Amino acid sequence: MIKLINVTKKFGNFTAVDNLSLTVPKGEFFGFLGPNGAGKTTTIKMIVGLFAPTAGTVIVNDFNIVKQPMEAKQSIAYIPDIPFLYEKLTGREFLYFIGGLFRIPKSTLHSRVAELIEHFEIGGWIDKRTEDYSQGMKQRITIAAALIHHPKTIVIDEPMIGLDPRSAKIVRETLHAQSQNGISILMSTHSLHVAEELCDRIGIINNGRLVFCDTHEQLQLDKARYDGKFESVFLEVTKQ
Amino acid sequence: MIFHILYYKLLSFVKTTFDARVVSIVRGVASIVVFGAFSFAAYRFSFATTHYMLEHTRIGLHLYHTFISMMLFVFFIAVNLGNIIVSYSTLYRSAEVSFLLTKPVPFTSLFILKFFDNFFYSSTTLFLVAFMVLFGYGSYFGYPWYFFAGVMVGVLMPFMFLSACLAVLVLMAIMKLAGRVGFRKVMAGLFALYFMFIYLFFDSANPIMLVEKVNRYYPHIDAYLSQTTPVFFHYLPNQWVAEFLFYVARGEILTALPFAGLLLAVTACAFGLCLFVAHRFYYRSWLISLQVQSAEQAPYDPARKRILDFRSRSILSQQWEVLLKKEFFSFFREASQWIHLVVMIVLTGLFAISVSNLNLRIRVMDVQLLTYLVIFAFGGFMVSSLALRFVFPMIGLEGKAFWVLKSSPIKESKIFAVKFLIGFVTVFFLAEYITISSSIPFVRITEMRPLLMWFGIFSAFWISLTTVALNLGLGGYFANFLERNPIRAASTQGATLTFLFSLIYLIVMVVIVLVPVSGYFASLFQFKHFKMDIIVLPGTLYAVVSYLFSALGFVVGLRSLRRDF
Repeated sequence: MIKLINVTKKFGNFTAVDNLSLTVPKGEFFGFLGPNGAGKTTTIKMIVGLFAPTAGTVIVNDFNIVKQPMEAKQSIAYIPDIPFLYEKLTGREFLYFIGGLFRIPKSTLHSRVAELIEHFEIGGWIDKRTEDYSQGMKQRITIAAALIHHPKTIVIDEPMIGLDPRSAKIVRETLHAQSQNGISILMSTHSLHVAEELCDRIGIINNGRLVFCDTHEQLQLDKARYDGKFESVFLEVTKQ
Repeated sequence: MIFHILYYKLLSFVKTTFDARVVSIVRGVASIVVFGAFSFAAYRFSFATTHYMLEHTRIGLHLYHTFISMMLFVFFIAVNLGNIIVSYSTLYRSAEVSFLLTKPVPFTSLFILKFFDNFFYSSTTLFLVAFMVLFGYGSYFGYPWYFFAGVMVGVLMPFMFLSACLAVLVLMAIMKLAGRVGFRKVMAGLFALYFMFIYLFFDSANPIMLVEKVNRYYPHIDAYLSQTTPVFFHYLPNQWVAEFLFYVARGEILTALPFAGLLLAVTACAFGLCLFVAHRFYYRSWLISLQVQSAEQAPYDPARKRILDFRSRSILSQQWEVLLKKEFFSFFREASQWIHLVVMIVLTGLFAISVSNLNLRIRVMDVQLLTYLVIFAFGGFMVSSLALRFVFPMIGLEGKAFWVLKSSPIKESKIFAVKFLIGFVTVFFLAEYITISSSIPFVRITEMRPLLMWFGIFSAFWISLTTVALNLGLGGYFANFLERNPIRAASTQGATLTFLFSLIYLIVMVVIVLVPVSGYFASLFQFKHFKMDIIVLPGTLYAVVSYLFSALGFVVGLRSLRRDF
């Protein structure tokens, strides 16, 4: 579960996120959309503890990310838009590294790593250093690492960048299955059709404010008011 | 083409350097103050050393310039090695080169750009230091202003430039050979070659031997040392610079000028050779570097467990275990890190062995006290250099992958503690090795009384702790997480400021030890009474000041880890 209560983030005089309130309940797949520079990544970074909010409260799985960061981070998984990894480690070592940070017992970790390698079909290059990986390979390792500790909430920034069609399919199916199993997911994306396909609810942020937030069903009605395309709804609500 | 690219690089540099924000202005002013203070200290140190050597200890112009020649040799090798390592990153691993190679830019132009980029980026602070030392030296002799400008531009800068040219030539030779016999073998061969060269130099011009000669003939030394320069020295650029300065000091300008001319001519030839080799070979060597990199890309055998394998069990807590292993692999799988560490360890070993064999003969308190303080300060300087090179970049080298730790359930204090522990253990053992080795000659002259050694062990602990804390903390404060090259990270403006801060700490330490150590030497050589109580107050002060400096490093470092990422 994610709950943002009147969250604001300022960088000097610039307000990136402006008094944002949002709740993603347990098991919901929430699509977080918006134009470039709208405040998506800033919001995500506040949720996962990379940025401290200037004002407001961020609650993750009942823990305040500022006051109880360890408990909050233990239950969340973050997948950034650009998957920077420790370049000198191999993919397998990176998975064990993340497992260690989340204090997963070694005996469990061995089987969990093997399971993820098989699921994401990464066995062919898992023992090469990550500096030799393509963007898509890094993205798959990052997603596998994010799931290693069975998170209750997943926050993803642009998950499909650099993925080949097969990998993209695996990721889509994985996220969908996680959501079906009661995991809350907040996914930022520019891909409207991915959002439409996967998300239970979609929010659109513009200039740091949430300008649209509706369920999948409501979105169909909104679309009907325009030309039946989600793109038209998006362009209308983000019009300057 | 060169000027077109240069214009945009300059534009980018100006826009990123001259920032009108209050924080940046305050930081800039602070830098100017610290650099100014450091420059003044370098000037005073150089002036006082020249004055002391020539008037107090009266070692004579020839011997003094022989020492200057040795210092310049060390400086030349340091600039050379630094340039080999940094040039590898800038010429062969830089994203900018990969980008420009896809554009219609001639390879030679690209080479020139990156060569100058590398030279000026890594040498700016060295120019400042060299100029202030020259200023202090020349002020003693009362030289006019145009001497300093002329020697800086016409002698010292070409001297450093020659070192950089040779570095790039060596690097291209490395790449050529690496394509045939493998990178590791070439590096091992090169390392052995440099080691042999340094050994031969100091074997022929042993500074310990010179000090002993000074001790033996003191104070009538000029008569004995005028013909001690080995013949092969005359072929080395450090000797040309030293001889130039020597003849200028004697007022024989016409004898001095050919040495500057020779240096300039050789430097011009070396640069010409660089351009010629680069024109024919730079692009090919760049392709070879790809081949060398791909040879290292073979996957590890998952069936074989390696040392510190992540899959192995450990007695440590899981977070400590994985953080330590991550640091270990990140360090030892990066050639520029472990090669530089080995070089530093060897240089430390050479220094320690040389000093431990020092045979101090003069039973004059001032001379022994000065020798002790110089060795103490130089040991501290080496420890600070080690900390700067290996500890300062530790947080910044997390790079953009730092999101992994920042979004994981791990406390910032634990991340800091792991890095501190690694840095401290490494620096502490090297510091103790230096201290114990450099205490041996003094233990020898004090009829095996180990007091100075115990004091050295005590001070090495505090100096290691403080310099590591300062470098790690300020390294975090100045980290921009973009610089992936550890050597460049350790030569940024922030790194220089940190180093100057460490030097201020060392100066304070030298001042604190002055009272008890001089009292101790007075008891040995002037038979004055020495009470052990005299150690207690300076020892406590030593620990307290070190603690305060360390605490500053810890606080700044921890706060920097808590910043937005």
